[in-house]
Amino acid sequence: MNNLKIFLITIFSLIFLVACEKKETSNPIKIAAIEPLSGPYAAVGKDTIDIVTYSASVINKNGGIKGRMIEIIPMDNAMKAEKTTELLRKAIDDDIRFITQGAGSSHALNIIKQLEKYNSRNPGKEVLFLNHSAVTTSFTNENCTFFHFRFDSNVDMKVAGLVSHMSKDNSIKKVYLFNQNYVYGQTFKDAATRMLTKNAPNIDIVGDELIPPFGKVQDFNPYVTKIKLSGADTVLTGNWGPDAYRFVNALKDAGLKVKLFGIYISQPAGMAAMEKNLLFNDVIVVKEFNPTNLAAPSWYKEYEKGHIESVGFTPDADRIRFMFEMLKSAIEKVNSYEPKDIAYALEGMEAKSVDGGKAVMRKDDHQMHFDMQALLVSEKKDQSILYRGKDFDMSYVNVGNIPMEDITLDTSCKMLRP
Amino acid sequence: MSVEVLLFIIFNGLLYGMFLFMLSSGLTLIFGMMGILNFAHASFFMIGAYLGYQISLYSSFWIAILLAPLLVGYIGAMVEKYGLRNVHKYGHIAELLFTFGLFYIIEEIVQMIWGKTPVAYKVPELLNFPLIQVSGMAYPAYSMFRLVLSVLIFIAIYRILAKTKTGLIIKASLTNPDMVAALGHNVPRVFSNVFGFGCGLAGLAGVMAGNVIGTEPSMALLLGPIVFVVVVTGGLGSIKGALVASIIIGLMQTAAVSLEFNLNNIFQYLGYNIDINSTLNYFTNITISQLSPIVPYLLLIIILIARPRGLFGKRDV
Repeated sequence: MNNLKIFLITIFSLIFLVACEKKETSNPIKIAAIEPLSGPYAAVGKDTIDIVTYSASVINKNGGIKGRMIEIIPMDNAMKAEKTTELLRKAIDDDIRFITQGAGSSHALNIIKQLEKYNSRNPGKEVLFLNHSAVTTSFTNENCTFFHFRFDSNVDMKVAGLVSHMSKDNSIKKVYLFNQNYVYGQTFKDAATRMLTKNAPNIDIVGDELIPPFGKVQDFNPYVTKIKLSGADTVLTGNWGPDAYRFVNALKDAGLKVKLFGIYISQPAGMAAMEKNLLFNDVIVVKEFNPTNLAAPSWYKEYEKGHIESVGFTPDADRIRFMFEMLKSAIEKVNSYEPKDIAYALEGMEAKSVDGGKAVMRKDDHQMHFDMQALLVSEKKDQSILYRGKDFDMSYVNVGNIPMEDITLDTSCKMLRP
Repeated sequence: MSVEVLLFIIFNGLLYGMFLFMLSSGLTLIFGMMGILNFAHASFFMIGAYLGYQISLYSSFWIAILLAPLLVGYIGAMVEKYGLRNVHKYGHIAELLFTFGLFYIIEEIVQMIWGKTPVAYKVPELLNFPLIQVSGMAYPAYSMFRLVLSVLIFIAIYRILAKTKTGLIIKASLTNPDMVAALGHNVPRVFSNVFGFGCGLAGLAGVMAGNVIGTEPSMALLLGPIVFVVVVTGGLGSIKGALVASIIIGLMQTAAVSLEFNLNNIFQYLGYNIDINSTLNYFTNITISQLSPIVPYLLLIIILIARPRGLFGKRDV
């Protein structure tokens, strides 16, 4: 009887130990992804979560990070600031040490501010913020913190890229600035005014419009008329969503020929509303890579194929891919899962870019720097843009390379390092 | 201001005004005559746009413009018959809450069926060409088509209400329901039909505008408030008022967009210069153009204070 007891206890302890052991090895690296999954911005948030999940799954398929898998935990902030705060607290309570977010600079700022406090009060339990798309410049200037890394170029850098490309085009004489009246649009406008005056003195700014943002304007005709009367040959705009596609359609309807320079005009989520109207005017955007480049290296083509199969569209951005790869390299380099060690490893780290250009995380402000390309939206060339079951029959054509040096700007960041 | 600018303001203002009229004419009947605060009016507009897209995908735009408004009207009549009629006896607040809920339900259903991103609803090829040129700005044939159709709709509603026996019965059912019922008319049915007709008009507006402003699930939310401004400004129940109010709002908003004028200009004229870096400049620097979206609501407030019955209304709000 006694022997049986000892035997049973031994067996159960063994099972328990094995179970614990198994749990230890499969213990995933949890990353909370806070994005809008309901409300008017749900389309953007859903796309983002899908891309993030896919990029992480590629890392997992290739053996994870030192055997540990990445687990993405999607959280819905419904584009409301107080929800973001609440979700961040929940993530911290659940012992999640990594946060990723991109849609909406106001939310990113919210996370930065909260983590700054939390991280300084809880040494040893820090949380790292991997920002893949929130582009307001101040996050890597006056609001910079050690535990924030931005993998996208900021507004100033994107505008610098656009202006650098515009200054090489002699047909551009008069430019009209057309932006949304909120923090991002104002940042875009200020940067554009500053850089055009400084770097492209032969281009005149003939108009400057800040429109009520987020689809409040239904009728763009009066704005198109104003642009027409100003005599502008080019419009520089940071608009996105309905504010971008309604504008493009209104230009086509009015038959107004201008060059359109921007960042998000050709966002795939809005393409269905424009289709070929997008080709009426030359639309030029800046990106870190060309999404429809048939000559991209084979490893990328494989990644792209999986992306189209599992997410349903052509990758529109490359930064989320290299964000996870850099996280992986950083963990492997320092052999630690501690955000503090990882943060130090990420500083100055280089990433593998698709088209062979440079890509490096600047140490001073934790801002990613990379070569950019000016891309013209055109009729289908080699490969077309696919989006959730639709083939838009359009491609991007590289019309100019923007070397990293042209968009490297000074930073006012004075970071406290732990 | 040059003649050219004035011409553009009138043209763009008329086009936008007639769009507003199409959107809100149905609500004039529903809110203005029946007194139902239909918060979901713009949702019926959205359903119209989506049905227009779906039908034109399988057949043509011309079939869609006939069929979709009928379908939306039918849905509207059913909503009245099985929903609003039961709520009606609990008063306006209950009706408002009912349509408020309906608004969210319609938005969710639309998202479930057609997804969260805009659908590719296109202007019919037949009308997709520039018809007239005004100083270098083209106006597509489709805009003119919308303009003409909305004028025809106005004439039709106006005549039905003012000149026909149907109009007489409708107006009587709303003011003296018991008397009309005693005369042998089916009053609840008249109510259903009026509600359905109003929703059908919104649906028609959706079919005609969805391919211009983009058909997406948040369009109802963004257009929701403006329709009430038109109805209240025009005067409850007055279709003529809705037309005049729509055109006034269209012209005012278009004119406001065209004005690059701010308080700094006045101060400069008076000989003061505001420091660019001061806090005051933050306010005085705002141009009328930037304030254009609040123009309709400003008008609403002024009308409510100065003339609560609206421009052509016969009773107060």
